Amino acid sequence: MMAACSIWKDQLLEAALGDAPTDELAEHLKRCPGCAVALTELSARRERLDRALPLVARGAELPADFRARVLAAAESSEPRWGWGRRGWVLAGAAVITASILVAILVHHHGASPAQDLDVAAMEKMTHWRAPSDVFLETPGRENLRMTPRLGDSIVNLPVPRNQED
Amino acid sequence: MTGPYAAAFMTESGSAGAEADFGARVAENQRRVFQIAYGVLGNSADAEDVAQEAFLRAYRKLASLREPARFRTWVNRIAFRIALNRQRGSRRQMARETAWHAAGPGETVDEARKTNERLLAEELRREIEGLPEKYRRVLQLLMVEEMNSAEAGAILGIPAGTVRSRLHAARKLLLEAMK
Repeated sequence: MMAACSIWKDQLLEAALGDAPTDELAEHLKRCPGCAVALTELSARRERLDRALPLVARGAELPADFRARVLAAAESSEPRWGWGRRGWVLAGAAVITASILVAILVHHHGASPAQDLDVAAMEKMTHWRAPSDVFLETPGRENLRMTPRLGDSIVNLPVPRNQED
Repeated sequence: MTGPYAAAFMTESGSAGAEADFGARVAENQRRVFQIAYGVLGNSADAEDVAQEAFLRAYRKLASLREPARFRTWVNRIAFRIALNRQRGSRRQMARETAWHAAGPGETVDEARKTNERLLAEELRREIEGLPEKYRRVLQLLMVEEMNSAEAGAILGIPAGTVRSRLHAARKLLLEAMK
């Protein structure tokens, strides 16, 4: 193939791969023996290519006991369960079951000891009074409500009649 | 057999038939799965390992296969991916089988022809490895017996038409590269 014929290279490859030559290439091949030889060589190369390609993948054979070995390995392998849809369903079911069990236990056993302590503390709080309330309830608190007259001692408390004797 | 495969096939054939079912699937697909791995790795020992691993993975994850009819494509895809990963990981290019390259003195005509074919195949394999990845993957799959464009496309995740156009481009590049 002459250097000037390099423009036909792509079409020659296409023709060698089985495509029908274009009219222009067919005309050129009639006039150019170099390109005609190149096409013949490319076609022979393509035949070798097609013959050899399958050999690349089929150059070896599996041993006869391959299937038995796979089955034995499958038999002895532990199934690996992942978190697929089934896994999530099982997890959800476990959570629901646990919640129901907790609810049942609480219902049957009443309040917990901690809850009992809280109730006792709240009861005590209802009886609690501020110190000022206690002071106002002490005997003599009336003094605080009386206004002594000028010259009277604040110590001269009126004596209740039932205590005069 | 008590694994997920048995569970998946329980409704169809009962637990007793599960082992036979899986064995039948292995028998149907083992040659092709091996060839897929061999096409990528070029080493029969590695390809055998990959084929076995592919079937075991398929066995363990069979419960996730919604359509048992797609087992063939599925296990082919698993094998192809494992083979590619192994190739990327180890890059044991030099471990290729070359023992058959040496032709003995007592070689018959038939043996000599086979030797020549294998030498040609080895040369071609080197050329294929020099191709861009998208062409190389298509060729590696379509070299496998009875693999068509649709099946290769299903494994690669591309339309059959794209597989065909890539195959044409790959053959053109190989034709140009071959001496």
